[in-house]
Amino acid sequence: MTVRSASHVVPVAQRLAGVLNQVGQIVVGKEHTLKLALACLLARGHLLIEDIPGVGKSTLAQALAATLGLKYARVQFTSDLLPADVLGVSIYDDKAQAFRFMPGPIFHSVVLADEINRAPPKTQSALLEAMEERQVSIDGTTRKLPEPFFVIATQNPVEQIGAFPLPESQLDRFLMAIDIGYPDAASERELLAGGDRRVRVADLVPVADAATLAEWQREAAAVHTAPALLDYTLALLAASRGYGSNAEGAARRGLSPRAGLMLVAAARAWALIAGRPMVMPEDVQAVFAPVAGHRLAGGARSGALQAQALLRSVPLP
Amino acid sequence: MSAAVTTAGTGSTFSRLWARGPFARRAVPPPPVLSLSQIRWIGALLIAAQLPQAPWLPAWIAVFGITLVGLRMVFATRDARRPQATPTRIPSWALVVFAVAAAWFVRASFGGHLAGRDPSVAFLFILVGIKFLEARTRRDGTLLACLAMFMLITPFLANQSAWAALAMLPALVILGATLEALARTAPLVAPRAALKRSALLIAQGIPLAAILFVVFPRLSAPLWGLPQDYAAQTGLSDTMSPGMISELSQSDAVAFRVDFDGEPPPPAQRYWRGPVLTRFDGRTWSAIPQRGPGAPVDAQGAIQYTVTLEPSFKPWLFALEQAVGPPQITGGADDPGARSVQLTADRQIVARLPVREVTRYVQRSALGTHFASASDLDVRLARALPPGNPRAKALAADLRARYPDDREYAAAILRMFHDEAFVYTLTPPLLPTDPVDMFLFDERRGFCEHFASAFTFLLRAAGIPARVVTGYQGGEINPRGGYMIVRQSDAHAWTEAYIDGEWRRYDPTAAVAPNRIERGLSSAVGAGEPVPLFARLESGWLKSMQLAVDALNHAWERDVIGFNQSRQRELWRDLRLNTDNAPWVVGSLAAVIGAWGAVLLAWMAWRRRTEAREVLLWQAACARLAAAGLPRQPHEGPLDYAARAAARWPQFGIAFNAIAESYASLRYGDVEPDSKASEALLATLARAVDVLPAPRALRATAP
Repeated sequence: MTVRSASHVVPVAQRLAGVLNQVGQIVVGKEHTLKLALACLLARGHLLIEDIPGVGKSTLAQALAATLGLKYARVQFTSDLLPADVLGVSIYDDKAQAFRFMPGPIFHSVVLADEINRAPPKTQSALLEAMEERQVSIDGTTRKLPEPFFVIATQNPVEQIGAFPLPESQLDRFLMAIDIGYPDAASERELLAGGDRRVRVADLVPVADAATLAEWQREAAAVHTAPALLDYTLALLAASRGYGSNAEGAARRGLSPRAGLMLVAAARAWALIAGRPMVMPEDVQAVFAPVAGHRLAGGARSGALQAQALLRSVPLP
Repeated sequence: MSAAVTTAGTGSTFSRLWARGPFARRAVPPPPVLSLSQIRWIGALLIAAQLPQAPWLPAWIAVFGITLVGLRMVFATRDARRPQATPTRIPSWALVVFAVAAAWFVRASFGGHLAGRDPSVAFLFILVGIKFLEARTRRDGTLLACLAMFMLITPFLANQSAWAALAMLPALVILGATLEALARTAPLVAPRAALKRSALLIAQGIPLAAILFVVFPRLSAPLWGLPQDYAAQTGLSDTMSPGMISELSQSDAVAFRVDFDGEPPPPAQRYWRGPVLTRFDGRTWSAIPQRGPGAPVDAQGAIQYTVTLEPSFKPWLFALEQAVGPPQITGGADDPGARSVQLTADRQIVARLPVREVTRYVQRSALGTHFASASDLDVRLARALPPGNPRAKALAADLRARYPDDREYAAAILRMFHDEAFVYTLTPPLLPTDPVDMFLFDERRGFCEHFASAFTFLLRAAGIPARVVTGYQGGEINPRGGYMIVRQSDAHAWTEAYIDGEWRRYDPTAAVAPNRIERGLSSAVGAGEPVPLFARLESGWLKSMQLAVDALNHAWERDVIGFNQSRQRELWRDLRLNTDNAPWVVGSLAAVIGAWGAVLLAWMAWRRRTEAREVLLWQAACARLAAAGLPRQPHEGPLDYAARAAARWPQFGIAFNAIAESYASLRYGDVEPDSKASEALLATLARAVDVLPAPRALRATAP
């Protein structure tokens, strides 16, 4: 922790705290969830929220986009949604005598893919591919998606009848999977007293823009990881790969090397938000359950429990 | 409760009390279930414990027992793959049927016995598999681990060689890992790390075990005797009929090993005397009841040597001709009955009980070919001529007419063996009737017993007292260890004739195949003869490896198996241990063990020394807080821990913070090692750790 790097990180952390503070006025009482979402964005990952409707998933997405000065679009996934509805379509322009590309909602910086498990697999995979590649190929033309590009997908875990739950390999494309949960009593009282939050989203003043965010993302990627920290991460990965796949809660599927990369990236972003120039084991632990949970067997919820058990099983000196 | 007693009726009161009282049926948590990894560990342990035993069991029992264990592992793996499906279970009635059927089959294959040593071991071998099939809880797992420990010992009932001990080692290492897996609640045990840990534990225990082996007082008699039932063994017996010794010579098993105090005698003098066979029924030679003691021989120039005799389950001890007196038993033969040994009138050395364990004895022999008779009875019995074999008798009468002198007569027969077309062979023909006649006149092909038998018969037919002596002839010097190996393939038979008032050794085999005596069996018979491998090998890597292995086995039997009470006493005496002073012995024992513990602790401390300084300081701080009642969770990071400590003792929050931050920066930060910045941080850390109050003070100030 040299003085130079500390002074370098602290202003960024302060501005990030400002972002959290502003979004926190709209999404009340969910500081930890907001921090995770922001870390996900800073780590250039995508976020999957598994929760029931009405807990503020789209409000969160909207508020985050507005505060960061990003273009926002929402796609409601339905069973008849086609890939073109998400990516865009070329239509014939009579006047120009040529095809003209009408970009779909995916050409926004923050995309809320609502109830992604309602759409048929073809559409799902079109979205997920775009997320992975950060570009879209239509009619032989490759079009870059805006930078930064952040997808928040939601999944309703309760009503799965007639739905297409994301296969595990697709889940892997999301950096984190979290749930929001009900607010506590005090926050809910404030929520009820304060009126509809969505109206207030329109009044938000952006505190950053796309260029600033890109700068922060670079800053997050540069947070120092010491050998000792990498050792700890490796031990976690090794533990997840499991020497005892059984009913007691060990992972049947271990974490992939990609998951390891994502874990370190998320931990870096978390450290940046905390204003630390280096990643601590605590940072890894904070993001471990959201990052690892949906990659372990049994879905995000039971996976998160497994992730906690894994954390407890790997000691620190 | 007293109200209930007074108001309610008697019966219901009791049941109500029962329901509320200390024996009330509480919601008992279900017992912990074995996890897949635990089942796999136990399975590996059981198979590792079964394998060393398997060679001593009938093949079907070995295969069946191991298959049962494997089956459970297959089931467990399959169940884990389909967590929703009902677990595969063999119903318990089927397991009972298995067990009963196994008992029946074991009984059948051990000749109708289920109670002896071998059938019990075989039954246990299968029962552990059946128990494993129904094992569910951790308690079952512990029980199986105990059974495996017991099963590890059972191979020693059959075989106490160094190999048996080596074969036990893998199971021992797996046992340690299995116990760890059973004790652990967290499911994650990396197999290689667990095995390494277990091996390290065992290695650390070896010096202690060695000390206890040498020092712990031994009983003069074994704690439990080796059970009485044993399988038929190869070796010389008290009868000899044509073909018996040539059959024995097919075995390259070791009969005994000899350490000579001086130079070993030349090959032609290596006659190891065993059973002496006087009675002859025309076909089979057999021993007569023993009487003693033998007449003394001149001990002038006697050589001394130590024999390590493999269990033969026969009473004979072997000595070079001629034994000066009975041997002094120094090892094995813990049973006093097996220690009472006598030198009989016909100079056999016979123990009162058969030799059932590796036995060591010191023997003195004066090398010689003749000795005086101890009794007239011996000579008289050696004249008896059974009916039959008329052609041999005619030949004897004919020869005797030409050679009235006893010595010339014997020399004439030997000359006949040498000059006429007699063949020394390992594959003699069957001699169904009048074997001496058939051998001498029809077949003329035979092994040493044929020559000895025919020669003795011809002597008796001429009125000369004679008898057959069996034993071993020869022996191979192992250059590694400098001792002699005598194998079953060295088994031999020769003749003793009473001429001129003395028993004289005649070896008719030497007349027909002199190489047998000088250079051993393989050089005396033709190339196509079925000489056992190790007796045939002259040189080469296989031979030298085999000799090295044998040297190891010999050392094992001499120094480990043969380490009994008297050897221990000797060692104590040599070490100047005052064994009468029990407190002194216990005290010095404790001191040695304590010293070893100190060595291990020092080693651990030395290993810790290689840890970085900040980690040591951090661990010191953690230890102090733990002593104050706030231990760090193993997975807890420094910042979290410091926050927790600061919440407990806010007045020291700054110190906790300084410790955690400087440690975190040193360990996880971007700090050059040995730079100025790192020195400064280390100084901060050290000072902050120094500032921490003692655990007692912290406990006193806790809110």
